[in-house]
Amino acid sequence: MGDFTSLDPCVHCGFCLPACPTYLATRDEADSPRGRIVLMRALERGDLSADDPALRQHLDACLGCRGCEPACPSGVGYGRGLEEARRRIAASVGLRPLARLTLGVFGRSVAWRTAFGAGRWIRDLGLAKLLAGSGRARLGFGMLAATAPGRVRQPTLAPEAGTGPTVALFRGCVMDTLFGHVHDATRRTLAVNGYRVIEVPGQGCCGALHDHAGDQEGAARLGRANLAAIGETTDFIVVNSAGCGALLKDYGHLLGTEAARRFAGRVRDVTELLADRGPVTGGSLPLDVAYDAPCHLQHAQQVQRQPLAVLGAIPGLRVHQLPGSDRCCGSAGIYSLVEPAMSRMVLDDKIEAIRSLTPRPDFIATGNPGCLMQIGAGLMAAGLATRVAHPVELLDWSYAAGGRYR
Amino acid sequence: MKAGVAAALAGALGPALLDGEAVAPRSVEEMAGAAALATEQGWQWKLSGRGTWVTDDPPADLELSTRRLTRVLSIAPADLVATVESGVTIAELGAALRPHRLWWPVDPPGRGERTVGSVVATATAGPLRHGYGPVRDQFLGCTVVVPDGRVVETGGRVVKNVAGFDLPKLHAGGFGAFGVIARLHLRLRAVPESDTTLLAEGDRPRLLAAADAARDSGVGLCALELLSPAAAGTSEWCLAARLAGTRTGTEGEAARLRVATGIAWHTLGHDHAMSFRDILATTAESGSSTFRLGCLTGDIATTLGLLEATAGAGATFAGMGTGQLRWSGDVAPAQLIALRRELAAREVPLTIERAPWALLRAAGHFGSLRNGVGPILARLRSLFDPAGSIVVALEGNHG
Amino acid sequence: MTTSPTPALTADLLGALSRLVGSRWVRHRPAELATYAADGLPTHESRPGLVVLPGSRSEVAAVLSLLAERHVPFVPRGAGTGLSGGALAGGDAVLLTLTRLNRILRIDPASRRAVVEPGVINAHLSQAVARFGLQYVPDPSSQTACTIGGNVAENAGGPHCLKYGVTTNHITALEVILPDGSTATLGSPQGEPWGPDLVGLFLGSEGMFGVAVEITVRLEPTPRDIRTLFAEFTQLRAASSAVSAIIASGIVPAALEMMDQSCLEAVEASIYATGARTDAAAVLLVELDGAPEAVAAEAAVVEPLLRANGARSVTVATSEPDRARLWLGRKKAFGALGRLAPDLAVQDAVVPRSALPDLLDQIAAVRDRLGIRISNVFHAGDGNLHPCISFDRRDPRQAAAVVTANREIMEACLAAGGSITGEHGVGSDKREYMPRAFQPAALDLMCEVRRVFDPDGRANPGKVFPANVCREWRRGDRQ
Repeated sequence: MGDFTSLDPCVHCGFCLPACPTYLATRDEADSPRGRIVLMRALERGDLSADDPALRQHLDACLGCRGCEPACPSGVGYGRGLEEARRRIAASVGLRPLARLTLGVFGRSVAWRTAFGAGRWIRDLGLAKLLAGSGRARLGFGMLAATAPGRVRQPTLAPEAGTGPTVALFRGCVMDTLFGHVHDATRRTLAVNGYRVIEVPGQGCCGALHDHAGDQEGAARLGRANLAAIGETTDFIVVNSAGCGALLKDYGHLLGTEAARRFAGRVRDVTELLADRGPVTGGSLPLDVAYDAPCHLQHAQQVQRQPLAVLGAIPGLRVHQLPGSDRCCGSAGIYSLVEPAMSRMVLDDKIEAIRSLTPRPDFIATGNPGCLMQIGAGLMAAGLATRVAHPVELLDWSYAAGGRYR
Repeated sequence: MKAGVAAALAGALGPALLDGEAVAPRSVEEMAGAAALATEQGWQWKLSGRGTWVTDDPPADLELSTRRLTRVLSIAPADLVATVESGVTIAELGAALRPHRLWWPVDPPGRGERTVGSVVATATAGPLRHGYGPVRDQFLGCTVVVPDGRVVETGGRVVKNVAGFDLPKLHAGGFGAFGVIARLHLRLRAVPESDTTLLAEGDRPRLLAAADAARDSGVGLCALELLSPAAAGTSEWCLAARLAGTRTGTEGEAARLRVATGIAWHTLGHDHAMSFRDILATTAESGSSTFRLGCLTGDIATTLGLLEATAGAGATFAGMGTGQLRWSGDVAPAQLIALRRELAAREVPLTIERAPWALLRAAGHFGSLRNGVGPILARLRSLFDPAGSIVVALEGNHG
Repeated sequence: MTTSPTPALTADLLGALSRLVGSRWVRHRPAELATYAADGLPTHESRPGLVVLPGSRSEVAAVLSLLAERHVPFVPRGAGTGLSGGALAGGDAVLLTLTRLNRILRIDPASRRAVVEPGVINAHLSQAVARFGLQYVPDPSSQTACTIGGNVAENAGGPHCLKYGVTTNHITALEVILPDGSTATLGSPQGEPWGPDLVGLFLGSEGMFGVAVEITVRLEPTPRDIRTLFAEFTQLRAASSAVSAIIASGIVPAALEMMDQSCLEAVEASIYATGARTDAAAVLLVELDGAPEAVAAEAAVVEPLLRANGARSVTVATSEPDRARLWLGRKKAFGALGRLAPDLAVQDAVVPRSALPDLLDQIAAVRDRLGIRISNVFHAGDGNLHPCISFDRRDPRQAAAVVTANREIMEACLAAGGSITGEHGVGSDKREYMPRAFQPAALDLMCEVRRVFDPDGRANPGKVFPANVCREWRRGDRQ
């Protein structure tokens, strides 16, 4: 199906190197975008085979964050090339066992509902927070603990239903089971801004994790199911997970049908819809916050300004610039699970940047479940009091404080 | 000149090569011939220009001088480059460039009869180093006669050039140890529309504070020099500032300088500024020795104190933006060696620019060298001058 | 890329190096070595025997001592953004990658100095000192990626070097490890050397004298006022004469850059578009900086000069975002040119400024005769040309035309009294031109100076000098 033509403009200038979180972690060109392009071209020419362990190691170590793309003056389509390389590797040698197992879980809703349901139970008992820490397993508990609502007391009242465009809420898997409070906040804040939010049953996982791992088959299967469930009735499909949104917007490419392209054209990140309406100003929320841009929002979807517009609608909120906020946190889908060492090195850079901020923010705002969990766990491991929250959560609290909910 | 040397030289290369006591070739080729013959004969020779800067005679079999290499070979105003022979004096160069509204922004210590070759070989920058950089930045390439008579052209005549190794750097401040600089491509500037010198007098701490304020304010100056009374020929310490550029630009900067420093400055008229620069140039060779040292700008005040305590009275010049300090006076070898040790502990190198041979032989132009530099220098010397033909004291006996 | 069996020597060395720096930091598998086979000029490729990434200066010293003991050649490398094929190792040579030595060791704002390790990225240094109102001035176009150590090895330039000088003018001291593993301290914090100017000699030695492991740099205050003028010309020659007129006026702009139409088209088609009309034959970017009065006074001279020499429009930007936008196209031009064809040969040569108009005509003639696309983007203020040839190396006719064009352009520059490289270095790419640029005596002397630092010739072997060019300097007839 694909090829590597998107890599053709590469002139080997190396400008992408410092834009790559894994290169910054190791300073080894084998872990850089330019180095990986060399590997992909060798794979294309047949100079290296798909089962070459070194080739696989360094391509597997790519976060897929596409932070290199905006740094590239030649417009190399790195993401497309990586997708093709991973497809070829998966097709010829298959997925690694841990990846296969994990993707298997995400591929069947019974499986992920059971797994994340258990996780939520552990979280709600307070066990996750208790066990959170720095080792590999304890970081995992930290991730689970980080999915908890940023505030214990959630708004209980509801706003008046909007009368404007109709919006289908994409529920996803992790978001649906562990971040239900973000879905609630999404519904309420969209309603305040005039949207009519419609719940659509029968959806599942978006397939992004499968797609990134080279399992385009699996991704396409999940995509077709979502397409069928959501249909063509609403004006928009809203997503509050950057990773899911990026793939939903790319269903046209993944599925290759006209219906998929029409579907993809209706997909919006929640901050895009909110920013289109202002958003409406809320009540005062005197907090220090720094925004960290999810890769799949800023690079894949090119949504950069809108999350800041959402935070800008909150009076009293002090938004600080986080150095390297455009750099990946090391979560990257199942990356933190299958490449724990590199993921941790990349995360450490992020936590260090947060640690050196003055004043230290109360919340890091970021609009992707992986990032929320990864950064949240990193903060707990580092013993920092800073917590994580989705931008719409903050807006939701602001609306509650401002009396926007009856 | 050692007995028999003159006759042998005249016999081999013609009597016209001799000029009084010195061997003074009239072309690069003659210079190469003289050097080759001298090296072949095992004669040791010392280098000189017009002989106005060096104070004493090192022992040598002959003196090889560039004093008759006096041609200005080309001036390219559009390229801001002049090619000159190394015996051209600073005064002659200035006169040749003036009709083109060009100048060479080096104001070395010593009289206008100093040669361009001498200024480069000793890397003796003056106050203008603040605005235009050290001597090594003021030429683009040079032709050097090495002791065995080979002529080597290094560098080029364009302002940016990284082809091959940067050999010209070795000759700037090499004190002739790596051959005779015979020709140079000089980097020029267009004469600025306005060139103003301001002077303030007062006690040293006050002027030091004013200089710090000037530096911190970022006023655009091309020189900022603190001068001892002996250096400036005044009764008190002086701070001199020089501004060059467009008229409105220099006026604006002068006003900012006054505000930033809060001291009384008076502007020197054109003639006064010229004669003031002449004073500085000559007081820099008022003592039997002159040396320079380089310290960080934050350490100038303490270094001045150390200089005063160890070297004693003399003419002192301190580049307040560059950290290049110059001192001229009379100093005994033991005193100077002690000062150099003290400075070395503070990461401050001391380079003797001119001194009686007794002092140079004992202390050397550079004296004690840093970690690992000694062997490199020794290998460089034996590469360029394997027979040790050139009499030059780089390290000294006790440095 | 073959998977030939690793030679026994290399296998043994792999073990020894792994013990010194950790096995994680010795790369030996073919795929990994392939990622180090080229620098920013991919027309040259050479796979190293091994890649070692030491993490500290003591590890560098230990690695160099080991390599000396075993007579193994090595090549120092930074981020591999160089444009001369200089940081490439072939055969059994070990590639010594210094990117992990990336700490800024000290910043002394009062004395305006910083001490850094060689792997510090150029732009990161300026970012780190910005809070003191200071900057590190040399700004090669690759500054977001290239390392200070690489800048030292190449004596890198950049647009702002017209007024402020190239790398050599901003380095005051170096701690170097020589190829035999011994160390030397060159220069002093202030810059006055201890002895001859060995810092000046080391700068631009292309990795052939040793490895700088601590670099003391001069910092400069950020200018109080900056004004960028962007002028469009309908004639290339008119833009060149505007450059000459500005230089002759006595004003030294901070930068004076030119892009021709072909380059402009590539930039405007990229995400770095400046908004210039692509029917302009050339654009000039003039940057003035300094005190506000001085900048205003200089702008009042420069703008009329641009118009008098035929500029059809002059845009003036003073705000940071506007200036950044005008600059972005220039800084990313090489990358933008990558869109034009699969391959790009970036050239680098210098001519006396007065020869610029003629040289540009000669390059156009070469272009027309060979039927290739050449874009010009360069530092006009110092006569430093960068003709960029877009081609497809899979087409043998085009590949041959590039070789011919390069040679003809180099010869034209030398004939005009210029140099074969202004800031990229000789590396692998320009070796063959060295005998045309220098007389045999100068080349011989350079080879011997190299042996002063590296008697065995193990540091970056095969670069700068063509094979067999260096004859014995100490000839018997002179002794």
